[in-house]
Amino acid sequence: MENTLSTEPVAKGSTGADKKKRKPVLNLLSPVSPRQAIILGIIGGIVFFLIWEFGHFMTPEESKRFLPSPQHVLSTLYTLLTEKGFLSDIGISLFRIIGSFTAVCLVAVPLGIFMGCFDNMRALINPVVSGARYLPAASFIPLLLVWFGPTDTQKMALLFLGVIFFLVALILDNTRAVQKELIEAALTMGASRKQIVFGVVARAATPAILDSMRNMIAVGWTYLVIAEIVAAQDGIGAVMMRAGRFLKADVIMAGILTIGLLGVMTDIAFRLIAHYAVPWNRKRSN
Amino acid sequence: MNAGTQTHSHSSRSAVIRSVDAARRYLGGKFTAVENVSLDFMKGQVTALVGPSGCGKTTVLRLISGLEEPTEGQILAGGKPIEGPGPDRGMIFQAYTSFPWLTALGNVEYGMNILKVPKAEARERAMQWLETFHLGDFADAYPAELSGGMKQRVAIARTLAQNPAVLLMDEPFGALDAQVRWEMQEMMIEILSREDKTVILVTHDIQEAIYLADRIVFFTSNPGRVKHDIVLEFKNGHRFARKEEMLKQRDYAEIEAQLFVWMREEIQKTG
Ligand SMILES: Nc1ncnc2c1ncn2[C@@H]1O[C@H](COP(=O)(O)OP(=O)(O)O)[C@@H](O)[C@H]1O
Ligand SMILES: [Mg+2]
Repeated sequence: MENTLSTEPVAKGSTGADKKKRKPVLNLLSPVSPRQAIILGIIGGIVFFLIWEFGHFMTPEESKRFLPSPQHVLSTLYTLLTEKGFLSDIGISLFRIIGSFTAVCLVAVPLGIFMGCFDNMRALINPVVSGARYLPAASFIPLLLVWFGPTDTQKMALLFLGVIFFLVALILDNTRAVQKELIEAALTMGASRKQIVFGVVARAATPAILDSMRNMIAVGWTYLVIAEIVAAQDGIGAVMMRAGRFLKADVIMAGILTIGLLGVMTDIAFRLIAHYAVPWNRKRSN
Repeated sequence: MNAGTQTHSHSSRSAVIRSVDAARRYLGGKFTAVENVSLDFMKGQVTALVGPSGCGKTTVLRLISGLEEPTEGQILAGGKPIEGPGPDRGMIFQAYTSFPWLTALGNVEYGMNILKVPKAEARERAMQWLETFHLGDFADAYPAELSGGMKQRVAIARTLAQNPAVLLMDEPFGALDAQVRWEMQEMMIEILSREDKTVILVTHDIQEAIYLADRIVFFTSNPGRVKHDIVLEFKNGHRFARKEEMLKQRDYAEIEAQLFVWMREEIQKTG
């Protein structure tokens, strides 16, 4: 009906032209309003819990405690928080991830921008950095344990090693993606190198850099939990590992759920930072 | 040569930009973008560089801007060899280069901040430039909120606010639709009647070249060389505020046809 040009209804099948044509569910380039997005998100969440619930229901009675129901896990989480001091474990994990991710950013952001601005520096540093991405960070665990013992430093160092090389590579790309003409325009206006690196390249790349950071902190959570599971007395991973020894699947799943929720919260935090720190990019980020 | 045009002869006015047998080669000298470019750009003159695509128009402009160096010959600005880009030669790019993180006002102030104009004065002058370009109401808007034509006006205002001796424009209106392009052309005429700038304009739009320029330099391609260098005598130094006034001129059509012929010759040459 939409592709007919004449006012005459062109018979397409027998339905006639005045019947309203339904849009397909999967419609290309069709935007979703914020309200629709929330509703769809909630539906997705409900479906997830229904599948979980169904899995629990189908599990034979004698092994049901290895796949507890969502309600059970939530009530376990509540007990952990109110009676078992889980909140302080969460705090410790948050402290570790924020501390080490800050360190990662303090190195990766300047280094990535520097390499992105100066090709000779990129040629000097990039082979080492991009090669290092292929070293499995987990293989450093024994070495880090020898160096630092089962300390906070050891955990933060693992997260640092697991994330830094990827973040540098991403920020290098973000920097190099800055439109060349912006730099050339600044040059023709007589801007100095310093003014261009800090005032043009870094600023132009900021939205993309914030995106890279947001994506890499998700990976950071993975390394943190690995470090805490391997050797820790406290933190979310340690609580889960201890529960594992006593086959307490509900506690492990409560831990997983907590990490998931915290991950979503760090994601939202980064989006908020981007929203307020880069107001000129709001149109694009929505 | 046809009526109404004649080969450009150097007048007694001083050359602001002087290109002396300049060449730019790439791939270690194996590929020649432009060569034998000897041109004098006179003070207050608007010159259009015209030619088929790939003939080296942008290259010539970039050599003058100092963003690239000639591999042979020399280019002088104000009598001195060019050493890199500088605010005496403002450049307008075809791509939108207004900084997306600065408002329209911030963009126009940017160039003046670089020149260390006192803040209050820079703000006042930036506002005036925005008014000139009919952007007064958009001072606080970010480029993302502006149309293509407005973004380009911000970029031109930013460059002019630095008061460059020479204005280099590389297909500045090439990305705009026909109506906006025409409005921008008339706006340029208006600005030029007040500012008396030396302008070097690259364009592939023949009508635009004839409308805006006092002189047209036509390039051959492969390698890029100056083929014709004509002064638009029919305009008699006059710049038409309205485009139709120029289109009505008796000699206009003839020059336009001549440029099309030259263009066709070049295109057929390369196949
Ligand atoms: N950096 C470069 N390396 C190699 N070839 C180039 C480079 N820049 C331009 N060229 C070539 O030089 C020629 C002239 O380019 P350009 O000045 O952009 O032409 P125009 O602006 O007239 O279309 C083209 O063939 C182009 O491919
Ligand atoms: Mg070009």
